[in-house]
Amino acid sequence: MKIITIIKQVPDAEARLHPAEEGIDLDGVTFVIDGMDEYGVEEALRLREQGFDAEIIAVALGPQRYEEAIRTALALGADRAIHIETDTVLDPITQAKVLSNLVSEEEAELVFVGGKQADWDSAALGPALAEALGWPHSDWTTKLDIGAGTLTVTHDTDEGQEDLSLPLPAVITTQQGLNEPRYPTLPNIMKAKRKELKKLPLDQWGGVQAKTAVVGEAIQVRERLNRVIEGDPVEAARELVRLLREEAKVL
Amino acid sequence: MAVTDKRSTAPQGGSFLIERHRAESILIPEAFSDELKMMGQAAEQYVEREIKPDFEALEALDYELSVQKIRKAGDQGLLGIDVPEAYGGLDIEKTASMLVTEKLAQAGSFNVTFNAHSGIGTLPLVYFGTPEQQAKYLPGLVSGEKIAAYCLSEPGSGSDALGAKTRALLNDAGTHYLLSGTKMWISNAGFADLFTVFAKVDGEHFSAFLVERDTPGLSLGAEEKKMGIKGSSTRPLILENAEVPKENLLGELGRGHVIAFQILNLGRLKLAAGAIGGCKEMVRLASGYAQERQQFGKAIAEFGLIQEKIGKMSAETFALESAIYRLTGAMDEHLAGALTQAEKLAAIGEYVVEYSLLKVAGSEILDRTIDEALQVYGGYGFSAEYPIELAYRNSRINRIFEGTNEINRLLTSGQLLKRAMKGQLELMGAAQAAIQGEPVTDVSAPEPLVDAFVAVENMKRAALLVAGLGAGRYMQALEQEQELMARVADMVAGIYLAESALLRSERLLGSNRGEISNLLAKIVTFEAFDQARVLGSEALRRIGNRDGLAKLESYLSDHGVDLIALRRKAAESSYQQGGYPL
Repeated sequence: MKIITIIKQVPDAEARLHPAEEGIDLDGVTFVIDGMDEYGVEEALRLREQGFDAEIIAVALGPQRYEEAIRTALALGADRAIHIETDTVLDPITQAKVLSNLVSEEEAELVFVGGKQADWDSAALGPALAEALGWPHSDWTTKLDIGAGTLTVTHDTDEGQEDLSLPLPAVITTQQGLNEPRYPTLPNIMKAKRKELKKLPLDQWGGVQAKTAVVGEAIQVRERLNRVIEGDPVEAARELVRLLREEAKVL
Repeated sequence: MAVTDKRSTAPQGGSFLIERHRAESILIPEAFSDELKMMGQAAEQYVEREIKPDFEALEALDYELSVQKIRKAGDQGLLGIDVPEAYGGLDIEKTASMLVTEKLAQAGSFNVTFNAHSGIGTLPLVYFGTPEQQAKYLPGLVSGEKIAAYCLSEPGSGSDALGAKTRALLNDAGTHYLLSGTKMWISNAGFADLFTVFAKVDGEHFSAFLVERDTPGLSLGAEEKKMGIKGSSTRPLILENAEVPKENLLGELGRGHVIAFQILNLGRLKLAAGAIGGCKEMVRLASGYAQERQQFGKAIAEFGLIQEKIGKMSAETFALESAIYRLTGAMDEHLAGALTQAEKLAAIGEYVVEYSLLKVAGSEILDRTIDEALQVYGGYGFSAEYPIELAYRNSRINRIFEGTNEINRLLTSGQLLKRAMKGQLELMGAAQAAIQGEPVTDVSAPEPLVDAFVAVENMKRAALLVAGLGAGRYMQALEQEQELMARVADMVAGIYLAESALLRSERLLGSNRGEISNLLAKIVTFEAFDQARVLGSEALRRIGNRDGLAKLESYLSDHGVDLIALRRKAAESSYQQGGYPL
């Protein structure tokens, strides 16, 4: 059976991002494989290590720089990788449509998707992909067991958690707690060099029309005002209260 | 690829002093392959996940935990980078080895445990072991199941390593050497399984031996009470007629000095690579704290004297990083064609001048950087509750380790002279040209860097001038003029670091890192230039050459660059990036 793990590349959580004239300045930022996607890769590897016969394929849809994250997935233990390379920013529904073509073509039976993107916080891709494939789906999955043609999972809900049984093929989106992902060993990094990384164009399965277009982006900027209120303490306190109420609007 | 092809492309050791290397020919971190970057990240992850959670326990010295962590490093493949594949290693570029070393610098004392094992502990076998010795010991050292230590120093011989008193006598049956003597400051002694021990056969022939822990006649002294790296085991090794099988002689009898010095060469480079990691962490801490700490109603980051520190430490870190990877890139080019142990050793031996100068530069930049970071933290820097106090104590040993900085300064200029005598380096002609020549006023370089490259070329002339006049005045006795030798070494080191930084920034011109790297490279260049004037003048006054002094003045006339402004700007960049700006 084939397992596909969808991966993305995001700025390192430690990286400092700066606003650019338009959008965000990503120059010089370290990019890494999204932590949520690592849970998926790890779970696939664990299934195989538990004796489950599987070929693990890392799949990414995104710009050229994603290749580094793909190499990481290969170094972690994925058998091969497919990169649908595009600079076009696509909404999750459109991404899901493209990826569903690939999943069908590969005849994969289990797909892991990161629960939530670390960069823009979207959690839509997993459900959208299940929808496009017409497959069952478990979101925020924290535990997974595989039986003959069936998955038993535990997943988070708003109120607590829930155990589900779902037939294969299925889409699983990950949640923290699913496992503790490994990090690559040096020999596996070397081996990854020799693994297949297939590149496909975005229009492999016909023209792609995004449903939404990004016209601008911005990040929250936090800065100190470094303002000192001088003068009579009573006056200063009054001024402070006024500023907190009228400018900061916290009172 | 043929060896000769490779040889012709990589620069000769020390040649930077007499010729201009091309920017496109050097390795820069920005051009690391994806695999290399991933290896760096894997090493970071190892420190983050395995070392940081147990940091305090490791700092308090815990044999069992140290052994466990080494084993885990073996599982991650971090111990076999330099080891042939046949014995479980990877045998890949020195750049990978140094990048991992850089990342391990965040591991505190455990860094010493790690390096003593995978560096000076394992490398003697890699480069000098017979196939039988390698097959017997290397797989265990690579997996971390066995831990290695290197035993050169003695109570009475440190810098004078060949003055060792430990003796080896072949027994009557001719089967075993009997080793007697005491080895001092043995890192990893508390839990090492294999010791590389240097001893004189018949009190005469300096040789190396592979000595197993359970050898009869081997015992250990007490743990040293040290100023820093308290989490690293340091004990004397005591040998009383320790019976070592004859086949455990490492390398040729009487050729132990070759092993000792070659392994120290690599140890020196590793030490310098580790310093990069330490420096980056200090820039991060200091620039972070400076922005947090408020005094007189504003962040201390805004004050000139704080900016000066941050700017300088960022620039020195940049230069060190540029120099180390420039060198490993050249080494890897040389090594690419080297197949046998002998060829590999020849390739590594090419850069003895660079290893020594980088060891000195690395350890001193690190100490300066930590010292200034501590100062930025003020009283909190002095408190053990904050991270700098530990770094301050841990780093001090680096100026003593792997050959003291005094010895390495003498080696830098001594090896340059030696290469010149052997005809490997056209130093004499270049020195003559510098004694008679005129200052360089123009070089072919991209416009923003021309002035700085001109400065470097003139620094080269100045160093050659001092070395040439010194050699003329003292002839063979020059090596006795230690202060002169050290001044030449410092001038040469300043040149190598500045030029490496400039070449890297030339490569980065036009990229988004172009501006900041240009700035940092200029800071180190003109600082080294000013330093060269002081060093050169002192040396020439000692030599007593007035014409030489005038010539030095002409090479090193004022550059007119406002370093204070440059450092302020560099600090801004470090603040923005939340640490080291590259």
